[in-house]
Amino acid sequence: MQAILIDDSRAMRLILRRIVGQIGFDAVEAEDGQAAIDLLNSMEKAPELALIDWNMPNMNGLEFVTAVRKEPKYREMTLVMVTTESEQSQIVRALAAGAHEYVIKPFTAGAMIEKLALLGLVPQGASS
Amino acid sequence: MSDVAALRVEDLQEIVEQVWSSYLDPEGIEPLLPVYDDIDGMKTDMHASVSITGTWHGHVVVACNEPAAKNCSAAFLAMEVDEVGEADMMDVLGELANIVGGNVKSMLPPGCFVSLPTVVTGEAPHYPSAEPVCQLAGTWMGDPFVITMWQSRGDGGEAA
Repeated sequence: MQAILIDDSRAMRLILRRIVGQIGFDAVEAEDGQAAIDLLNSMEKAPELALIDWNMPNMNGLEFVTAVRKEPKYREMTLVMVTTESEQSQIVRALAAGAHEYVIKPFTAGAMIEKLALLGLVPQGASS
Repeated sequence: MSDVAALRVEDLQEIVEQVWSSYLDPEGIEPLLPVYDDIDGMKTDMHASVSITGTWHGHVVVACNEPAAKNCSAAFLAMEVDEVGEADMMDVLGELANIVGGNVKSMLPPGCFVSLPTVVTGEAPHYPSAEPVCQLAGTWMGDPFVITMWQSRGDGGEAA
């Protein structure tokens, strides 16, 4: 399984890489939404999972979600916003644009894995 | 404190505790220890900030010294302290400011926006048109950390 980690902070991408690695995901990284679109376009197969920051330069997370939801080839990709944006109206906007789930920073590895398990993305026994 | 954003030190403390328990002190061994006296005497030379605009205007600044920034980066990046470079410190402090600022924003009136983080070394950033309205100071592993919320002054000294 593969995940794309989209965040302008290298530190946050590394944290996410460690977490998804624990549950069997290989990861590719992009530092903003546009870089992620470019990377996806160069990949033969879309990743099963995208973890997406909101506040990024060039193309923010909401714009990324909106863009990939227009593309049928990315229909199977699960989109999870990982952001400090905890305002209810912003969460609603992200979900309306096509995000499947929402994780608020700061998060623990356990909380993130729990959220991914709810989405059916954690193989049995992978998190133990 | 303005009644527009009645953020208390306890609110900042709660945000910071969540950050520490998630990334910097998951084992609960090295918390940020609050400091109440001589905060002005705490020497910081690395300052990461985000600006908040919209229905409330101001800045959230996370300040520390270089050893603290190195320890932070080592914890975030799972590196040895002596492997941490300047780019690592800039990235990690920027993300810290982003997380703290974003969580502060969630306590403000709806309709605020958080900027991308800025990190500067040396002198603390100056905000001539703003005043500090909430501050949390502490030491982590013996080094200073100061988180300050600045509120822009509008006409008549009220929140912009």
